[in-house]
Amino acid sequence: MTRQLQPIHKRKGILGGLALAAVLFSLYWSLAVAPPDAYQGEVQRIMYLHLPSILIAYLSYFLVFVGSGLYLWKREKRDDILAHAAAELGVLFTALTIIEGSIWGRPTWGVWWTWDARLTLTAILLLIYVGYLMLRSLIEDENRAAVAAAVLGIIGFLDIPLIHMSVYWWRTLHQPPSILRPDKLPWENVHPSMLTALTISFVSFLLLYFYLLSLRYRIGEMRQEIIARRLERGA
Amino acid sequence: MGPWGFVALAYGIVWGTIVVYLYGLKRRYHRAAAELDQLKSTEATAGDEKK
Repeated sequence: MTRQLQPIHKRKGILGGLALAAVLFSLYWSLAVAPPDAYQGEVQRIMYLHLPSILIAYLSYFLVFVGSGLYLWKREKRDDILAHAAAELGVLFTALTIIEGSIWGRPTWGVWWTWDARLTLTAILLLIYVGYLMLRSLIEDENRAAVAAAVLGIIGFLDIPLIHMSVYWWRTLHQPPSILRPDKLPWENVHPSMLTALTISFVSFLLLYFYLLSLRYRIGEMRQEIIARRLERGA
Repeated sequence: MGPWGFVALAYGIVWGTIVVYLYGLKRRYHRAAAELDQLKSTEATAGDEKK
């Protein structure tokens, strides 16, 4: 390992260790400490995965949006690297959200999948960012690929407010927010230990997310440096 | 499948997928780092030969 990589590796190691500890603590709290839901019973524990993973996916697409906008404005490669890394993680967490939702839907709604407005819009969100990743690999010219992806990354972000508002605008099977409601404070809606489980789970997902993002971002940086050095040698 | 079966399925798929993704990411990281190190050492050798 080069001397330059050692401090980066050490910082990543600390973040990774923190994320692992938080994930283990979150699993313990979600599965053993939090009580079962009065109506749904034990299956409600899937919420401790479902809500943090979609919030992390939204955060990821927000970073794609910011990185893409900055890239189109300033044409700095680091912004494009950030957008690309965040898009990959956004796809991962959106796919996981859909899978968790499907598993949760079977015992509560009686179906694995339904063409409900929120579910359909979330599936569209996933397809947009899978398209974003495919676009990058299909266009050979790297700068053209980055510009096209940045445009798609910005347009794709517009789907998120639609997903959020879908439960208010259309009659959907998916329930409206039960915790983040405009009319009530979170602790007025759920049992404190359920809220604690959700908070711990969100923090663990957040730490894990930044650990994965730092690794993925560094891969992008190294790939960029490899391309630049090869071009320099070829010139 | 009972309620705990659905919970186990969801938690298993989520954490299993994340572990597999993390493993793949680490492999990509080390492969890129090794490739970059190799390029740097080749460049250093070429630079020494020119001198």
